[in-house]
Amino acid sequence: MKRRSWMDRQGWIGMTFILPNMIGILLFFIIPAIYSFVLMFTNYQFSNPNWQFTGLDNLKRLFHDDNFYASIKYTVIFLISVPVSMVLAFIVALFLNRSVYLKGVLRGMFFLPYISSGVAVAFVWMLLFQPSQGPINEMLRWIGITSPPGWFADTETAMYAIDIVQIWLMLGYNMIIYLAALQEISTEQLEAARIDGASTFKTTWKIVWPLVSPTTFLLMITGLIMTMKSFSIIQAITAGGPSGSTTVLSLFVYKTAFSYYDMGYASAISWFLFAVILVITVIQWIGQKRWVHY
Amino acid sequence: MNENAGNMKVKLPVTVIMFVLGLFMIVPFLWMLSTSFQTPAEVFNKWLPSSLNWSNHIRVWTGSHDFVPYYLNSLKISIVGTVGAVFLSALAAYGFSRTSFKGRDGLFVIYLSMMMVPPQVLFVPKFIMFNWVGIYNTHWALILPAMFSIFGVFMLRQFFMSIPKEITESAFLDGAGHYKIFFRLILPLAKPAIATFAILDFSWQWNDYENALVFLQSPKLYTIPLGLQNFILENNVDYNGMMAASSAAIIPMIIIFFVGQKYIIQGISSSAVKG
Amino acid sequence: MKKKWYPAVLSVLLAGTMLAGCGTSGSNDAQGSANGQTAKEKIKLTMWGAVPAEAGPQAVIDNWNKDHPDIQVEYIRNVNDDAGNLKLDTALMTNQNIDLFMNYDLAHLQKRMDAGVALDLSTKTDYDIDSQIGEDAAMWKINDKYYGIPTKKNMAFVWLNKDMLDAAGLPIPAVDWTWSDLEEYAKKLTKPGVYGLLQADSSFSTTMDGTLAGMGVKQADGTSNFGNDLWKEHLEILHNMMFVDKSTPEYGEQLTSKMPVDTMFLQGKAAMLAAGEFIFRNANNLKDYPHDFKTAFAAIPKVNKDQKDYKYSGGVGDMLSLNAKSKNLDAAWEFAKWYADGGMLPMASGGRIPASKSVDSKEAMSLLMKGVEDKYDTDSMNKIVFGKFPSFQLNVTQQAIDARKEEYEKYFLNKQDIETTMKNMQTRSQELLK
Repeated sequence: MKRRSWMDRQGWIGMTFILPNMIGILLFFIIPAIYSFVLMFTNYQFSNPNWQFTGLDNLKRLFHDDNFYASIKYTVIFLISVPVSMVLAFIVALFLNRSVYLKGVLRGMFFLPYISSGVAVAFVWMLLFQPSQGPINEMLRWIGITSPPGWFADTETAMYAIDIVQIWLMLGYNMIIYLAALQEISTEQLEAARIDGASTFKTTWKIVWPLVSPTTFLLMITGLIMTMKSFSIIQAITAGGPSGSTTVLSLFVYKTAFSYYDMGYASAISWFLFAVILVITVIQWIGQKRWVHY
Repeated sequence: MNENAGNMKVKLPVTVIMFVLGLFMIVPFLWMLSTSFQTPAEVFNKWLPSSLNWSNHIRVWTGSHDFVPYYLNSLKISIVGTVGAVFLSALAAYGFSRTSFKGRDGLFVIYLSMMMVPPQVLFVPKFIMFNWVGIYNTHWALILPAMFSIFGVFMLRQFFMSIPKEITESAFLDGAGHYKIFFRLILPLAKPAIATFAILDFSWQWNDYENALVFLQSPKLYTIPLGLQNFILENNVDYNGMMAASSAAIIPMIIIFFVGQKYIIQGISSSAVKG
Repeated sequence: MKKKWYPAVLSVLLAGTMLAGCGTSGSNDAQGSANGQTAKEKIKLTMWGAVPAEAGPQAVIDNWNKDHPDIQVEYIRNVNDDAGNLKLDTALMTNQNIDLFMNYDLAHLQKRMDAGVALDLSTKTDYDIDSQIGEDAAMWKINDKYYGIPTKKNMAFVWLNKDMLDAAGLPIPAVDWTWSDLEEYAKKLTKPGVYGLLQADSSFSTTMDGTLAGMGVKQADGTSNFGNDLWKEHLEILHNMMFVDKSTPEYGEQLTSKMPVDTMFLQGKAAMLAAGEFIFRNANNLKDYPHDFKTAFAAIPKVNKDQKDYKYSGGVGDMLSLNAKSKNLDAAWEFAKWYADGGMLPMASGGRIPASKSVDSKEAMSLLMKGVEDKYDTDSMNKIVFGKFPSFQLNVTQQAIDARKEEYEKYFLNKQDIETTMKNMQTRSQELLK
């Protein structure tokens, strides 16, 4: 349809689709977000009703805070899990789409981690990564590595161990969405390519991958956002330790807000986090024109 | 879609490999089950219980802190919330993808950005808001926000956008309006996406802990994640009871997953419309 | 196919609306009854605490409710962690119907006092906290006023497997033994499969806190005392025990396996356990934790012989406060007094001994040891568990505690040496203790 005036009838109808949803978003997201934005400029402590505007103090404090810079570092490491998990999930989804028996059962098995009790997940991984008696290090020693990493017990490796858990956890989420996307690809296109003599690998790379690019885009953005916001699994396994070496930005916010009750400062950290995510997302958004095919 | 593509020579070994990998994926779940049958002394020492001790499971369903009300509360909140979220998100996703109006994409970016706001930040303002309106400590405090899912709008928009324009063009030419197209064409075609979103959204609401913690105060309104707190005793944790409850709690999600799978596969027959 | 689900969606939403309505009535009831104040109408009080209801509180409430049909109390359990405390604080600050609540440490009480939700009890002249609870209660005063009644005796001490001590020819240690003494004991008691010493997570800081309480959080010139030599000595001894003597688990091990230290002690995998009275609950539960050995007790040691002013972790705790904004202050106060002066006895079997002098400690003791009297060495029990020690309540910000922990964790994980550790503790706490 061609757009005739600023808002033609089609446009108004389009708005009605969005309106119900938007009211809720306004109420439950935008307004609270503005409130918290304002908080950033105060020294509001949750238990103390007396507060004042402190201008940019919180932001200044942020940029001098070593803990802040440390948590940025850990967050970056944490984000590595996003693309890794996506790629692995795509491969799994490819297999579980058509090339196996017991499709439902297998898919369920890969999805199960995502919905399992966080306590159980934390527990099992702590056992697996146990430095002295855990199966992973036992195996590493068996193949000749005499001094395997300390995983959660070592400040240098703890964050990477968390990454591994996160990759494993998010696999189900990424997989299930890729599966939905793969289902939408018609067989005709694939058959046509195969008849033309293309190998499976080529078909996958040149046809399937571009066709699921909207999904890949979705997963990249949501994966980054969700990972940047997630902290409960880290809290359950290491509570940010040892010695703060797994305190990513979101956990830093949580501690500042709910353990130290320093709401103003917590808001400042949150909005910085938000700004980072926004920048990354915008970059991806602009970049999508290059590689996302609708 | 030809579900039986590929011959047995490829399918069988692949199935076996994936099954082994799958076992690795479900190790925590197996641990969960195993612990639910153990005694406290066994919890950290053995992987398998020495005997099937059903007392933990019985405790969860009967006894002073039985899980029946938590289960029902969780079911109610998750089902209503998910249905609402699917419905409202699909509508909005359609609006953002298949209609055009000025400022559409800009508004969408604002939506996206709201997804980036860390949830902790929203607790205090939401608390004040709910208290003022009077829905604090009611299930509405959880259901209402749950019905507005930015992720849902984003995900479904992506899927709607990949439905070829030709399909809707012909319907427009036939005189159909947006609403008709939405209900009769787009929704059926997007079944896999919608079913997938429903599964995900249900699992998020089912497992939501922080919102329930902050906004529900009366124990009889508690949901399962809050109920699990009962097993955190003063200085140690009753893992056996907790895992018994968690194992039972996973069942509805598994059911929804398998039901959803049916829709995901069903949606393929709509490829008759393509080509 | 296409429109069939549409009515289904609507009906689910409608059903949900009606069901959600049912949920609302729960809170409305509570609102309604709190407002009715005529003598004939029932008053309903709500009390929040962290002890699971079936571990004692429910029995306490039931006793009260039986005798007081006009004042009914409901107990709501709230886990004592960050999220749980936040929940309590939010509920208090937004005037939810909480009449009484428990504070488990001074820092949290301080926050509640600042927010104006803990009632200042100076106006209550019919109960003299100082004389009822004893001099230890004064440590809970803020600005010289009481904002609650401390109700239970806090006890931190070392649990000893007497059978193992006897086998190694070691006598029960003196009350003022030191960490060097403990180090010796642990070395002699360590065997394959048995640790000389295990510490509960909460015990890692006991000696440090006791030392700090004695010497003061800040030095005379206002600088922080976090870099003091006694702490250095203590940490070095512990480090030695972990890595040289191997008489206590390496910190990394303990951290990552969430060691159930109480289970291990009761199963004979450790000779000594530094913990507190909270172990009684499991120790007395012979069904789930069967054990034969006799248990003796020792105090948590001070650092070295020359240390003066060492304070023992003990005193009183479980500070019961009244919500300053409660509508039922009189009824709540009646309950609080009753609770402190003996109403809380059912909680004794879990280790919560009432602190009030109106309670016969023998009665509490017998409740505590019911059925398991022969498992305990009464002499050391009387001296340590029921003994009197100079004690403390520390009021240091959570951030300072976290910073200290981060530093000693690095030391115990061999990521930095002791000098750097002490220096960092000093500098970081300096900023946070302003």
